[in-house]
Amino acid sequence: MDDKGRITKAWLKEDGEEVISAGMSKMSKSKNNGIDPQAVIDKLGADTVRLFMMFTAPPEQTLEWSDSAVEGAHRFIKRVWKLAQEVIEAGVNNELAVDALSSDQKALRRELHKAIEKVTDDLGRRNTFNTAIAAIMELTNKLAKAPLKSDSDKALMTEAMNAIVVMLAPITPHVSHELWNQLGNTGDILNAQWPVADSAAMVESEKLIVVQVNGKVRGKITVAADADEETIRELGLNDENVVKFTADKTIRKVIFVKGKLLNIVAN
Amino acid sequence: MQTEYNHQDIEQKVQKHWQENQTFKVTEDQSKEKFYCLSMLPYPSGRLHMGHVRNYTIGDVISRFQRLNGKNVLQPMGWDAFGLPAENAAIKNNTAPAKWTYENIEYMKNQLNSLGFGYDWDREVATCTPEYYRWEQWFFTKLYEKGLVYKKTATVNWDPVDQTVLANEQVIDGRGWRSGALVEQKEIPQWFVKITDYAEELLNDIDQLDGWPEQVKTMQKNWIGRSEGADIQFNLVGQDDALEVYTTRPDTLMGVTYVAVAAQHPIALQAAENNPELAQFIEDCKGQSVAEADVATMEKKGCDTGVKAIHPITGEEVPVWTANFVLMGYGTGAVMSVPGHDQRDWEFATKYNLPIKQVIESTSEEAVNLEEAAFVEKGKLVNSGEFDGLEFQAAFDAIVAKLEADEKGRKKINYRLRDWGVSRQRYWGAPIPMATLEDGTSVPVPEQDLPVVLPEDVVMDGASSPIKSDKEWAKTTINGQPAFRETDTFDTFMESSWYYARYCSPQSDEAMLNSDQANYWLPVDQYIGGIEHAILHLLYARFFHKLLRDVGLVESDEPFKRLLCQGLVLA
Repeated sequence: MDDKGRITKAWLKEDGEEVISAGMSKMSKSKNNGIDPQAVIDKLGADTVRLFMMFTAPPEQTLEWSDSAVEGAHRFIKRVWKLAQEVIEAGVNNELAVDALSSDQKALRRELHKAIEKVTDDLGRRNTFNTAIAAIMELTNKLAKAPLKSDSDKALMTEAMNAIVVMLAPITPHVSHELWNQLGNTGDILNAQWPVADSAAMVESEKLIVVQVNGKVRGKITVAADADEETIRELGLNDENVVKFTADKTIRKVIFVKGKLLNIVAN
Repeated sequence: MQTEYNHQDIEQKVQKHWQENQTFKVTEDQSKEKFYCLSMLPYPSGRLHMGHVRNYTIGDVISRFQRLNGKNVLQPMGWDAFGLPAENAAIKNNTAPAKWTYENIEYMKNQLNSLGFGYDWDREVATCTPEYYRWEQWFFTKLYEKGLVYKKTATVNWDPVDQTVLANEQVIDGRGWRSGALVEQKEIPQWFVKITDYAEELLNDIDQLDGWPEQVKTMQKNWIGRSEGADIQFNLVGQDDALEVYTTRPDTLMGVTYVAVAAQHPIALQAAENNPELAQFIEDCKGQSVAEADVATMEKKGCDTGVKAIHPITGEEVPVWTANFVLMGYGTGAVMSVPGHDQRDWEFATKYNLPIKQVIESTSEEAVNLEEAAFVEKGKLVNSGEFDGLEFQAAFDAIVAKLEADEKGRKKINYRLRDWGVSRQRYWGAPIPMATLEDGTSVPVPEQDLPVVLPEDVVMDGASSPIKSDKEWAKTTINGQPAFRETDTFDTFMESSWYYARYCSPQSDEAMLNSDQANYWLPVDQYIGGIEHAILHLLYARFFHKLLRDVGLVESDEPFKRLLCQGLVLA
């Protein structure tokens, strides 16, 4: 039955001849669906209710009300708010010089653009709003730990904050509208450009290689993503900590696993 | 100094900004790609529930995402405002259904705004307004002219104490919800729309719906229920009349051991004249429900009519029984019975000691034991004379060919879908724009006399519709001749079958739709609503869209490109 009490559904038996109609259970007071949305909107706000609804389950699945999940949604909005305030206080910088970024900054920016790519696909094609929000939350947590000192830090955080605010705008439109303007952007956020994932930013420029001596981890080296075996071998064998374990030994063999590992056999 | 997050201040401020700037007002813009995002419109029951909030949040998120990606986004909202709960609430609260409904709309609209949904409110429609339903009435008269509307008698639930027709939901354990009287089945004339004329297209076009959930597509396919079978004729011993039956399993014809007819079938009624036991059985069947659900689950009962039918191939005589599970309003009111290979027939034959004959054997090693149950799988024919050894399709073809050669049957494609009965004996609905002249002919209300307005300032007495109680209301003249208006109203699924198109030109007072505007926005790019509407609403809307197309109002074949059915909220 629907809201008007009309019978709206029936199932067909395999033989295709007989139909057994059966009411579909739905939201109604008699089915213990008694929480009034208005009370929650008044207490925690529309953005919180909207975020909870979209985050807690994929849209086709049953959504179970949970006070703690609603509070979790509210806390996340506060976290975004706080992060934005920190960026504003440190100073918004719209002059991002990509070439001047350090490797840590590049890694963070890679996370940002990977998140943009995922959120765009989740919202635009897959209708999996919950995983889009999860990606934004994960990104927010990483940004919260990043430094806000140099001009590059501030520029990177400005880019990231603007992207987060726009990506959240469909879900939490009020707070996004407000933060968009606080971040110094002019015009209505609804007329903003959806962030575009920069494929250059998503390319990993460096890799972490683990160096073992006789099977034990003795060092970690950062190399260019396209570094050849020769270069990595050289860097690994000369790593300060590795040298401590090989100094009085003869190197018998060096095993290289591309992109991951250098194992030095020595006695 | 950092500011604190204050949701009240922010949300009020931003909502005011949207309102003042008419942020969500849209018009057609050929330079931009359009995106029409639609959530199923609510019934104004009083307050939003969590299910609404989820439904409309999903729609709003998709709309805003598309807008941020440069699309020209239409997201309208309105009210599916006719329906029985308004009548009940009006009686309970001593008010009128219209007043109750409009107050609810006002309240719920504020609630929707407090959630920040970006609707173009200039396009709001409430289906209970004459501005809306006049076009539905106009469309119905167009369909009448095209021969897609007809009148026939159909069974309704009748409360003999309140002297009123009851909706299925108002019958509780076989009794009227107010009077407590035993409900009777009564035949009254009602209007039907020929959805069956579109059965084939409605079925075939499901394949175009790439953006719909498989589950919904399967449910619609099953509901339309195309089957290939045969019409088969059984002559009757000593009578000129013959029985015609439809079966999807002509391969089992050689296993027929009796024929079953409805209690109201002319053959049963005639036989009952000299058979008191049969007459009593027919009388007992009168009170029974004709709802398919009840028929499927009730105890199967029958009575021998004494009439014999002649098997169309073997020429053997088989008995004709009446059975309570065969319905007169369904097909021909007669079925051939193959107890060896149909479980319901098997149960009936076992109960009444009728012969059970095996004519199908398994093509795998599976053993067939007709002592325990019918063998209902398709297989290889046995005990079937010239047809022995044939498998299903070959047997189907050979038996149908034989029947066709002997002029005792023919291949037939059947649809389970029935025509749509749109008459309701309720008050709070759109009046059916038909009238009856003094000589009894039905005529549509002419266009210049539309809309037939439903009076809103009424007192509900709880029993009868105010437009039925007020005998003056029906009196009218059609083209100068005295006539009586139809006092039934439309099934409220009528209103929700075309509202999505009306949103494209909601204020048009010269036509049902402005085709230029409708063709810019339609089809709906994303439709969002509950799975409980998988069959009826979504099928009726698809049907209406094809009707709109065929009167030249829209160009597309289907109304909804993508469909998302949101899950329930357990709160």
